[in-house]
Amino acid sequence: MREIYVIFAIARNDFSYFFRTKWLMAVLLSLNLSDMLVVAMVYKGMMEYPYFTYFVPAVIVMGLFAASLDTGRRIWLALREGVIQYELSLPVSTKGLVIAYLLAGGAAAIVYASSLMAIALLVLPGGAIWSAFMLLPFLFVLAVGLAGIAATLAAIASTHGEFFFAFQNIVQVALLTLSTVYYPIEVVQNYLPPFLVSVVVANPLSLAATALRQYTFAGAPIELSFLGQILLSATPFAVVGAIAYFWALRKLQIKGKI
Amino acid sequence: MYAIETKDLTKRYGKTDALKNLDFTIDENEIMVLLGPNGSGKTTLLLILATVLKPTSGQAKVMGLDVSTQSTRVREILGVAFQEARGFWRHKPADILKFHANVCGVPKSRRDSLIDQIFKDLELWEARNKLFMHLSGGQAKRLEISKIFVQRPKFAILDEPTSQVDLRGKRQIWAQILKLREEGSTILIATNEVREAEYLADRVTILDKGQMVVCDTVRELKDSITGGDIVELEVEAADPRSLQQELSQLEGTVKIASPNSNMFKAYVSMAESWVPRMTDICYRKKARILSIRVTEPSLDDVFLHFTGRALGETPNA
Repeated sequence: MREIYVIFAIARNDFSYFFRTKWLMAVLLSLNLSDMLVVAMVYKGMMEYPYFTYFVPAVIVMGLFAASLDTGRRIWLALREGVIQYELSLPVSTKGLVIAYLLAGGAAAIVYASSLMAIALLVLPGGAIWSAFMLLPFLFVLAVGLAGIAATLAAIASTHGEFFFAFQNIVQVALLTLSTVYYPIEVVQNYLPPFLVSVVVANPLSLAATALRQYTFAGAPIELSFLGQILLSATPFAVVGAIAYFWALRKLQIKGKI
Repeated sequence: MYAIETKDLTKRYGKTDALKNLDFTIDENEIMVLLGPNGSGKTTLLLILATVLKPTSGQAKVMGLDVSTQSTRVREILGVAFQEARGFWRHKPADILKFHANVCGVPKSRRDSLIDQIFKDLELWEARNKLFMHLSGGQAKRLEISKIFVQRPKFAILDEPTSQVDLRGKRQIWAQILKLREEGSTILIATNEVREAEYLADRVTILDKGQMVVCDTVRELKDSITGGDIVELEVEAADPRSLQQELSQLEGTVKIASPNSNMFKAYVSMAESWVPRMTDICYRKKARILSIRVTEPSLDDVFLHFTGRALGETPNA
């Protein structure tokens, strides 16, 4: 019971660190809000296609993705600054520490994405609020999975200094390119070979964007089986991330350094 | 039962032994000071007891709990102040201490007043709302040790608690450490400051190259240097080696060490009769005496006596 309290305290501490990083907040908010409020609005008026309904879910998913990936930066900083040694001396198991960081990553991302969603909901019909609310737990699991990817990168990059940011960018570009976040599946099918198309379809970012477009923005009834797919595709990332981070901490305990 | 007990404790980094078969105990409510030069294994021992490092072999127990297999329970009773302050850049001291107090189970009813008091006692009040990255080295160090004084753990580990802290700050920290012991805590301090060790220690363990050289009270350690007086002699001599050899044969000489070619440290039984004879020899050898100082042994001398090196010297690999 006490350990659960400590896990939540560490998670809350890390969660607050995300929002305290003002330069990051400024970058993310300016990019995402300008995309939502300027690009989507302007394009909406310029073309027949319902661009706002298509593009704003992409921005929300992108915000969720970027905020989740920041977990990796915080883990990397904790490893580099020695904060992790302090945390390893706190009354929590090593597993508990891993869980705390992944929970914090998921929570920070979902709060950030929810704030973007709340802005979008101002111009959507009232029913969208309910479906957005229903999607949140699934998006949270997705955010934890994405935080797992970030933790894996931080664990790998901990031996390679500043390379963490390069690794992060590579993963970001790969996961976004191989998804339907910014373009529909028909476009992907025209340009990519079939095996990559199946990767695009299974990509949790594609699933999240599709869910937002269909259920929140287009008002279609929610299908639990589709939301189940989000869980299934995100869980392996969370598990791999937890193992990678746990392995990095063990290495630190045995070798004295990463 | 000992508060802390290690048996055959070994920590190896690659091919380097940071700790070698260390057998070591601390009694409950005792202040034990680990004294040794950089690289002697002090921090490694502290980090193993703090469950941050895993031993390569051997056993370490804190209040009867094994640090390898019962690490979470060990963490519930210990507090650590690291050698370098640990904190995220964008956290403020007030938040850092509040977080620490919360996870360590300090009751909320007295948490805030305790934190305020520690801030005032350690002169951090003005800095309590600065970002961690804007603290000076001394402030960051005082913040690090404040965690212990807020937590008041059963077993406190302090790694060089007053390094980078000015003399006034050192005295404040020492007073708090003694107060903590009065309340029943067992305290383990690693330092290479002799004065700190002499002021705080119930017992001192001297570590060198990962091994325990000696462990006793400060008084016993000083008394263990046969002789009783130390004559520090600075000379300008054409042949310092032959001068050292001749001085070492003087009646009353127990041992002569030479930290550098112009400096001799003579452990002698009676300085008042040894010094005149020494000056005769220097005159005969045409060595110019630059200074003479007669002192009592310090822990630095104890270290020199047992290891043949001064505390500041780096051990040869």
